[in-house]
Amino acid sequence: MNATRKREGGLRRRSRSETVLLFAVAYQKFAVAAASVQEIRSTDSLAGNAVEIDQPVLSKVRHILEHGGHTFYVVNAGAHFGLPVSRPSLLLILRESRVAVLIDSIERMTEIPAPYPLPLAFAGAERRWYRGLAYWDDMVIPVLQPGGFLTAQEFEQLERAAKSTASQHDLQGVGPA
Amino acid sequence: MRATQNTAQSSFIVLQIGNRRFALAADAVVELSAPVRLHTFPHTSPAVIGVIVRRGRVVPVYDAAPLLAGRSFSHHRFYVVARRQFGQASELGAMPVSGECELASGEMQPPSTGSPAYVCGVLPVGEDSVPVLDFNTLVNIYVSPEREPAGAGASS
Repeated sequence: MNATRKREGGLRRRSRSETVLLFAVAYQKFAVAAASVQEIRSTDSLAGNAVEIDQPVLSKVRHILEHGGHTFYVVNAGAHFGLPVSRPSLLLILRESRVAVLIDSIERMTEIPAPYPLPLAFAGAERRWYRGLAYWDDMVIPVLQPGGFLTAQEFEQLERAAKSTASQHDLQGVGPA
Repeated sequence: MRATQNTAQSSFIVLQIGNRRFALAADAVVELSAPVRLHTFPHTSPAVIGVIVRRGRVVPVYDAAPLLAGRSFSHHRFYVVARRQFGQASELGAMPVSGECELASGEMQPPSTGSPAYVCGVLPVGEDSVPVLDFNTLVNIYVSPEREPAGAGASS
């Protein structure tokens, strides 16, 4: 009974708030903590820094980005979330992560109430994807977990693919596309 | 001892899902809610079709119609909100209801042999016998891992 009460209390909206970026992928809105985004770039501006993975091991990651002396795996958010194909035009480069995320558009940067925990009914990969659900402007918006785009196993797969791509390019004398 | 000796008259909510009628023990039902906006987002949990917001809470919505009535229905009149147990914890869950709801009193009879596990009894209503659902068992069976799709993005 006490556990039930504690849990119900946890579901109540708390007064804390946080600043998030609201963005869209295939008309679906998401939020991510503004503090977890290092940079937002147009996909057009990245042509010289992105390398296409020769033999993609994950359908959601087809490029590697060299940026600021670091390597980022470019995750197509639409493919990651299983959304209909869209035309991503922006790249969110995440802070303290080796992930950059392709998205369609930024809606706004705003302050939202602290997110509700994801209900226990959601028991699949979404528990890794989302930190919670925000209720804002009469909408329920999933708040992303920045570390939820790639698992440790996926990172390993990508590292192997990246090494293979790099050695292919070394042999052919090719630089970033 | 007769099977009905220990049963008392209890209250039940009789609800319609598709063309079929089911009952839930009234004390298991937290709320009958108007068809408020269903919010959807990508996820991989089978049978969960989204969430509604009720009284400051985010409530997951289970579509049990494919299991109970053979298919989903795009129009519904209510959400029946009940409590689902997760070990020691619990949370509210909602289920869309297609037609009118009634409050009925009666003695629940044992389920007929071969009834699904989520039917905990039968309620005589007029000339009908309405299966009484155990909400917790229903959603637990319905969202069991065996039914989970292999891929991500079973977007609700």
